Amino acid sequence: MASLLLSAQLYILEVGNVMNETESNSPNDFILAVKLGSRHVIVGSLANISNGGQNSNLASNLQKWSSLISKQYHFGKNILNYTLKETSPYSSGIWTNWGTNGYGVSSAYANFTYKLSDREFDVNWSYFINITTTLQIESTYQTVSGDVKQVDVIINGLNEAEPALAKQITIYYKLLGNWLIPNATNNYEIFDYGNGTYTASFMASIPSQNVEVSAHVIDQRQIYVQANATST
Amino acid sequence: MFDRRGQIRILEAFLSIAVIFSALLISMTFPSSPNLAKQKSLVNIGTQALMKLDTNDTLGNLIKQENWTAIKQALDILLPIGVSFNLTIYDENLNPINSQAIQNTNLLGRETVSVQYVCASQNQNVRFFVLRLQLAWTR
Repeated sequence: MASLLLSAQLYILEVGNVMNETESNSPNDFILAVKLGSRHVIVGSLANISNGGQNSNLASNLQKWSSLISKQYHFGKNILNYTLKETSPYSSGIWTNWGTNGYGVSSAYANFTYKLSDREFDVNWSYFINITTTLQIESTYQTVSGDVKQVDVIINGLNEAEPALAKQITIYYKLLGNWLIPNATNNYEIFDYGNGTYTASFMASIPSQNVEVSAHVIDQRQIYVQANATST
Repeated sequence: MFDRRGQIRILEAFLSIAVIFSALLISMTFPSSPNLAKQKSLVNIGTQALMKLDTNDTLGNLIKQENWTAIKQALDILLPIGVSFNLTIYDENLNPINSQAIQNTNLLGRETVSVQYVCASQNQNVRFFVLRLQLAWTR
């Protein structure tokens, strides 16, 4: 009799343990999926905005995402709120600075608060997502003969401050007020070091002592960034 | 004296029967509990597989390309052997968009669990999808 009671009790305890263990993972998975999706929305929005889209697209996409999330959980509260960063240099969560000092940045920043609660758990979670594509270029030249110059440009691409590969790089140089793309006739070459660093070189007849170059880069996430530099 | 002993034996017998029946009742109350735990682990396995596929925006890209075969092949790799699945993909208005079934075997007649997953594509025209992954153990 005692063994029967004991085995029944053990069985109940065992069942209880297993159920607690598996249930504890579920909200975490859901939260991670929400964060992952939020990141995709910000990357996609920044890709759109940096390629000429409206800044308001970020808010619009996040609103859709937030609304979709709230419809996915029917057993309790499931609310995703977002706030776009307005602190300088950001405006409506976006910062683009494609300067002439060899430095360019395309960035988006949003803060999120997520509440997921039902009868079994109550999770309040805050997180932020900052997507930043940075471009740094350095340019030097050597005069070959007369106005003909050999121009070398070092290009460094970064995603969230980590070296990142580019999907497309276009180099321009300024001649008599016009931006031109060097091609095979300029002996244009670009070398990929495989770690986010590239060197481009070309020869061109440029009368000016200041050679202005510009690098237009699209990273692997389709985010556009450009930077200009002057070599003397 | 013998009468009392007999009465005690009868009481003892009834008590034993009661204990046996209560143990049986308890075990019948939770007949599917171990299965429930197994089903819950299946939910986790399914969610993890979708998240892995979504990490580098592979999932969003494959959906945009309507490459249902590649999604099926990816799930074949990501899910353990012995798991049957059927994936239905909806747009943000919950209209199903996969024109062909994304499944390895038919789930009819099996005890299934359903994983709901929301994802966003990472490209310039951000799109939103809701995925419903039905899973069952084959054995």
